[in-house]
Amino acid sequence: MEVNLRIAGAAGQGIQTAADLLGRALTRSGLFSYLYNDAESRIRGGLNFCHIRVAPELRQGVAEHADLLITLTEPAVQVHAASLSPGGRILCPARFAHPRSVGIDIEALAAQSGSKITQAVTAAAVAACWLGVSPDTAGNVIAEMFPAGSKAAESNRRAVELGFAAARERPLSPPLRLPAGSPAGRLWISGAEAAALGAVAGGVRFVAGYPMSPATGTLTALAQWAEEAGLVVEQAEDEIAAINMLAGASYAGARAMTATSGGGYCLMTEGISLLGMIEAPGVILLAQRPGPATGLPTRTAQGDLRLALHAGHGFFPRVVLAPRDIAESFVLTARAFDLAERYQVPVIVLTDQLIQDAQASLDPFPVEELPRRRYFLTRDELEAMPAYQRYAITESGISPLAAPGTSRHTVVADSDEHDPDGHLTEVPSLSLQMAQKRLRKAATLARELDAPLAVEGDPRRHPLVVSFGSTHPSLAEARQRMADQGTDFAWLHLSQLWPLSSSVRDLLRDAPRLITVENNAGGELAGLLAQVGLRESDARIQRMDGRPFSVDELDARLREVLA
Amino acid sequence: MSARKEDYDSPVENHWCPGCGNFGILTAVRRALVELDLPPQRVLICSGIGQAPKLPHYLRVNTLNGLHGREVASATAAKLCAPDLTVLVHAGDGGAYGEGGNHLLHAIRRDIDITLVVHDNKVYGLTKGQASPTTSLGEPAKIHPRGVPSRPLNPLALAIALECGFVAQALSSRTDQLVDILQCAVRHRGFSLVNVLQPCVSWDKTRTYAFYDEHCAPVPADHDPADAIAAFRLAAQRTFWLGILHQRAGTPFDERVLPAGRGPLRDLGVEPERVGRIVGRFR
Repeated sequence: MEVNLRIAGAAGQGIQTAADLLGRALTRSGLFSYLYNDAESRIRGGLNFCHIRVAPELRQGVAEHADLLITLTEPAVQVHAASLSPGGRILCPARFAHPRSVGIDIEALAAQSGSKITQAVTAAAVAACWLGVSPDTAGNVIAEMFPAGSKAAESNRRAVELGFAAARERPLSPPLRLPAGSPAGRLWISGAEAAALGAVAGGVRFVAGYPMSPATGTLTALAQWAEEAGLVVEQAEDEIAAINMLAGASYAGARAMTATSGGGYCLMTEGISLLGMIEAPGVILLAQRPGPATGLPTRTAQGDLRLALHAGHGFFPRVVLAPRDIAESFVLTARAFDLAERYQVPVIVLTDQLIQDAQASLDPFPVEELPRRRYFLTRDELEAMPAYQRYAITESGISPLAAPGTSRHTVVADSDEHDPDGHLTEVPSLSLQMAQKRLRKAATLARELDAPLAVEGDPRRHPLVVSFGSTHPSLAEARQRMADQGTDFAWLHLSQLWPLSSSVRDLLRDAPRLITVENNAGGELAGLLAQVGLRESDARIQRMDGRPFSVDELDARLREVLA
Repeated sequence: MSARKEDYDSPVENHWCPGCGNFGILTAVRRALVELDLPPQRVLICSGIGQAPKLPHYLRVNTLNGLHGREVASATAAKLCAPDLTVLVHAGDGGAYGEGGNHLLHAIRRDIDITLVVHDNKVYGLTKGQASPTTSLGEPAKIHPRGVPSRPLNPLALAIALECGFVAQALSSRTDQLVDILQCAVRHRGFSLVNVLQPCVSWDKTRTYAFYDEHCAPVPADHDPADAIAAFRLAAQRTFWLGILHQRAGTPFDERVLPAGRGPLRDLGVEPERVGRIVGRFR
């Protein structure tokens, strides 16, 4: 039982505002919403849409059909009418004269609010009313979205009233109503914001970044919360500055991060290598969009996995984590800060546009059990040491970490090969010691982060599907649907891409068939599995047009390869 | 506690060419820091790659010897996270004005409280004699056998035009003046640029110690460093002026950006409960 709403129109028509209003109001009304954005890289015009899935439980798979379509432009009607479900209806200006129209002229209605820009909000209010949202809830939400007393606040307040009145006057048959539960303090939050919140939970104190879709939302959120979170955000002059600022902040002893997309990450790669060499902790949120080069700036992809795994010259240990959804963006970003400092390595959180720009109704994130430890030597510990060596040789490969200015010792870090004191050296035995130290650290990381894999189904009897990142929700729904109809497959979804669990090799060796699912052209995951498990995928399910896999598509394509 | 010269002793063997101008700068930095009564653990020197950036290894100080040209970016963030440190950057003319040109522009805009000391020998030393951004037009260099086809960058005029709050030039062999200038630069609250002219004894047979002695002149006694236009006029001349060309007080970036009354970002713990102060807006 679910309702799918789609709001389509041109950039600048307030589609995202209307969708945000709906999602938030529905969340407060005890329903779960999931919204994903499909937008062009422009500020005005074109054809954008927001799709909202509403259900009594959270469904984050990508749906293709709409039960109620709100269209603000004629091209939007022409393109999206095909996605109407049987019995689906359209809410649009009367002049479009669409046969599936519900007969409320949202254009004329919006004109009464005093501003025609409120058309999307007026339509959203109609939908909210039909879905059982109370006028008070919708009114409160819209009041929070615009500055109090502003002209926009007034016209949008009026638009909501008009929408509710029109919806009551013309009830939809059959009704859209869904059984609502208790809202229970649930959040309405985007992936970009969840990652930012995860960074706060992970103790971030310094953020440097250069705007680039789809990473920008995380930088913006952190900047807005700087005071409450106790952190500083600096918009760097370029990505090279951002990563080198991260290195400076981290060397100085603060937890630091940057956020970018593939192009910016490419600029940062020498800096990633620097973090590896000077063993500076750092978190890099790499929010993928399709490449190469500028690619599709506002679209989604999973094409940068091997970039995250390998970019940066020379060998140095690193961690690559990939959240599957908004909630995991929070958890993994928080965890990334702990891992980065514990192992003194760069940790890359590999997310994408689908997750970053999507919003969902989520239960509050658990913070009680998150790690709180800092791994720097304390002032007292340092003062008790006769000497301090930043790169002291240890069995684990991890040297005691000190920040400059916290004791009588000095802290020396060098991007050249260095001796245990941190001074540049070309002595072969010292170069060897340092290379071995970094290798031992990589081994320590692999050992200590080697968690057993959670495989669903029986990978020895059934074909094994392997995936990572944002394909998870759609795959989960497709798998359930197929299981209900008697088609089974085993499923491994990887959230930690590096170090990869040691059990991957056995799993791949024993699987009767290996199928990889990934949103890219290059077969990034298939390449990783071939490298680690010496096992080629028997079938690759890929998408490379910058759009996410939907549940229906995965269902159909999995059936095809499993048949 | 007073700082002593020996506190800055480093065990690291010096790799510079005998007679290099860098030695004068090293001596002057050490003297300036001691005379400013700064203990080594309170000083951070950031550097990149080249001969000049090896300087912090030859002093016992906190050192972040990072990437070529990125030293100013790293130093900016280090200062923000550990504002209790005195932060200097030592870079060559290649790192500061070539590879790191963009970072220099924006560090001046920010007015972050760090001192950038550029060892300006007008040649790439460690990569063996290529032109630098400050090499003269028409001068032959390794990759420019027929002469450098571009005009040289004028770092002093550039910095003054960007409203840099402290712009000075010194000569590596005139240690006393360099010590004075470095002290003023460190004391200045905001971004300071000290361009230090230095002969390259290995790759430049023209601009020798004698050449600089002949072509340098002290900033005129009647020059008012607060007058940016007058400073720009001086900087635009061919003379190698020695002294403080421009100085203007301002509010440095760290003061504008850092929340007042809280300790260094470096010292803050992990506080997951801060999430609770933020999530309200998502309900």
